[in-house]
Amino acid sequence: MIEGGPDVKQSEIEIYPLRDLSYEILNLRLENPFILAAAPSTDNLEMVRRAFSMGWAGAILKTTSVEGNRVDLAYPMMTSLTHEGKSLFGMGNIDLISEHHIDRVEYNVRTLKKEFPEKMVGASIMAGKKDDWQRLVERLEQAGADLIECSFSCPQGNIGEDPGKMLAQSVAATEITARWVKEASRHIPVSIKITPHVTDIVEVARAVKRSGCDALTASNSLQALMGVDIRTFAPSPQLDGKSTYSGLTGPAIKPVTLRTIAEIARNVDIPVLGTGGASIWSDAVEFMAVGAVAVEFCTVVMHYGFRVIDDLRSGMAHYLEEMGFATPMDIVGRALPHIVPHDDLPRRKIRSHINDAACIQCELCYLACRDGGHMAIDRTPGRVPHVDWERCTGCGLCEYVCPEECISMEVVEQGLSV
Amino acid sequence: MTQENARSSIEQTSSLRYARTEAERCLQCFDAPCTSSCPAHIDIPGFIWMIRSGNFSGAAERVKTANALANVCGKVCPQEEFCQSVCTRGKQDSPIAIRELHWFATQRERHHGYSPVHPSTVNGKNVAVIGAGPAGLACAFELAKYGHRVDVFDRTRPGGVPRLSIPEFRLSQDALESDIEFLSRFFQFHQEEVDSRRFREITSGCSATFLAVGLGIDKPLPIPGSALTGVIPVLKFLESAKTAAAPGMSGQKVIIVGGGNVSLDAAATARRGGAVSVQLLYRRSEQEMRVWKGELNEARRQGVEILFQTRPSEITGKTRVEAVRCRRTCLSDHLDASGRRTPVDIEDSDFTLEAGTVIVAIGQNPAAEFLSLFDRTPAGYLRVNEEMGTSVPGIFAGGDLVGGEGTVVQSVAQGKRASRGIHAYVSR
Repeated sequence: MIEGGPDVKQSEIEIYPLRDLSYEILNLRLENPFILAAAPSTDNLEMVRRAFSMGWAGAILKTTSVEGNRVDLAYPMMTSLTHEGKSLFGMGNIDLISEHHIDRVEYNVRTLKKEFPEKMVGASIMAGKKDDWQRLVERLEQAGADLIECSFSCPQGNIGEDPGKMLAQSVAATEITARWVKEASRHIPVSIKITPHVTDIVEVARAVKRSGCDALTASNSLQALMGVDIRTFAPSPQLDGKSTYSGLTGPAIKPVTLRTIAEIARNVDIPVLGTGGASIWSDAVEFMAVGAVAVEFCTVVMHYGFRVIDDLRSGMAHYLEEMGFATPMDIVGRALPHIVPHDDLPRRKIRSHINDAACIQCELCYLACRDGGHMAIDRTPGRVPHVDWERCTGCGLCEYVCPEECISMEVVEQGLSV
Repeated sequence: MTQENARSSIEQTSSLRYARTEAERCLQCFDAPCTSSCPAHIDIPGFIWMIRSGNFSGAAERVKTANALANVCGKVCPQEEFCQSVCTRGKQDSPIAIRELHWFATQRERHHGYSPVHPSTVNGKNVAVIGAGPAGLACAFELAKYGHRVDVFDRTRPGGVPRLSIPEFRLSQDALESDIEFLSRFFQFHQEEVDSRRFREITSGCSATFLAVGLGIDKPLPIPGSALTGVIPVLKFLESAKTAAAPGMSGQKVIIVGGGNVSLDAAATARRGGAVSVQLLYRRSEQEMRVWKGELNEARRQGVEILFQTRPSEITGKTRVEAVRCRRTCLSDHLDASGRRTPVDIEDSDFTLEAGTVIVAIGQNPAAEFLSLFDRTPAGYLRVNEEMGTSVPGIFAGGDLVGGEGTVVQSVAQGKRASRGIHAYVSR
């Protein structure tokens, strides 16, 4: 076994000052907006230590529960959504909560707070009965946790009292349980981790707000069936021909998360910890722009390691500089005024414009418009397509079909009445 | 938008897209072989990840933290010898175009503005660096990072071999200047000739000295006729080719003697200068040739004819070169000091090649007279220890002076290594 590696030793002297990204949320000082989500990466003391020493601002330790709730894991538990040759575009897992005894998680919280007092150590919990929820909060607060995150939404297995259904899918159950948890916490903030699998996310968020809890973590993985082997008919991950529904995470779910966070932030005044599909610094910026106050990461770390924190911090610092923002908080909510009901969207006459000089004559836009648009692009002898502006509605399909990014939409007439 | 702006905007878009697409191919190996094989130990997966994420400034910072001559190496580094030769992706299909991505990152920073660096805090010792080529510049940069005050001396403007003799078609003046512009803030530069007297003054006035004056004297060709007009030492040839007074090669038949990278540069330069034919004589076979494969292929592509196992025995002509008498060699099993098989003449194998110019590129010797103070290797280079310390305490050396004709990135690596030795020495 080779100890260490290049990401745990500092071989170069830095010449570029590390910009201060620290700010405050929920009465907690965060070194930067980047936190590890409750997952395998946070289930082991050694791993969290490594992450902290590499620059992560905090970690939510993998979900724990009370004694008596035996965790019976099944392997393999990970599977990949592979898209156009790239694996882990989405990650599926049938993992459950931590196998560690609550005593162990308590010990981890205590040790990490002692070794890294400036880091945010959160603990994720899951229970059924009121007493269990409350005992978990009390024990972990006493151990020194800075934040409690309650999983009301783990889609993979069901430890709650209502098998087959996630707690956060019931507005009433969410409110009652959230109250129990909040009651038990003496000083530290409590966040409820919710699922996007609901009819109305705003109702759930309002229930959490009414309960007195401090924040929402939005949102958990999506329930998914990761794929089916078309010869054996066993879905993946496959365990002797059997499978079950997975929790889908990673880049594939980012748009769903963005919408969930935005919808909460537009309607309910409660801090949101964003999670679900953020991989790089600009994803974090997007999460914050729609209302998240900090961002939790999981899949990208499981794929590429804790070292991605280097780019998260560097990219965020350069972005703040470029935008003239003083702190990451300056990003929060910036996109919200730009989100409006469909009725309020401006009506304009726009049309497709092809940059002839840049066109590489693949005729993909022609084909897309012919079979999926408005038959508004004509072929020409030189293969540089020609847009018929009479027929073009400006739908925008061709812009994204073009592999050379040489099509843009231009506004012909502003302010048409409906 | 003018036609020209439109074109340059298309070029920018496509280079950006190319860079990101290429960056996405990178596997992001742990403890990556590319980084291990890079003499400057650039965190290659790290900067490629930053290109991928759109953090271009961060990517340039990563490169420059490890390699002071970032733009120069982005152009002239023989990547097929180092990083790309071991790229894991190459085991799947083809290696990542690492040097192109490196160049993309540093050039983009150049055009979008440099990242601010730590204000330099001078809290250490005075260190002198004699020679402002790649080794000297890299060493000065590292020493400044340690907080030492650094004075750099050279007879010409900083840049060394990249400034003086790497042909313009391989390295633009512009790329070099961008590195010099960035590095200049880290040291005081003094443009002056350092002779023995100045050498004593400089070394006695500082806590340690780094010597990286390079080579500079072409080895003469020890055969009859080498004093004829038209026999040109390679450095002189390359240096004059970089200035306005480029030697006219138009219509000439040119013979290059010697089989190193510098010979290939000379061959390509002669070809571009209008030479009708360029023949390169090398006394051993292709296997023994210590050149970058890419350069060799490029020279061949440009029509340079390479005669292996051939050496000149005499240059003939009245006052000017008219022809070169050549002799075939075979390789004996006896290995020389460089570990290569020794060429032996084959009797009665002489033949004659017509030539108007002969460029002699059989290596160079150290030039500075004060070098007599130091222990040397049998080949005439300075002898140094692990930390690049010479036989004189407090004086360290690196670059071509120590290793013979090397590549830019190897000199950078030696400068970095020496800086650690110097820092340890002055901190005692």
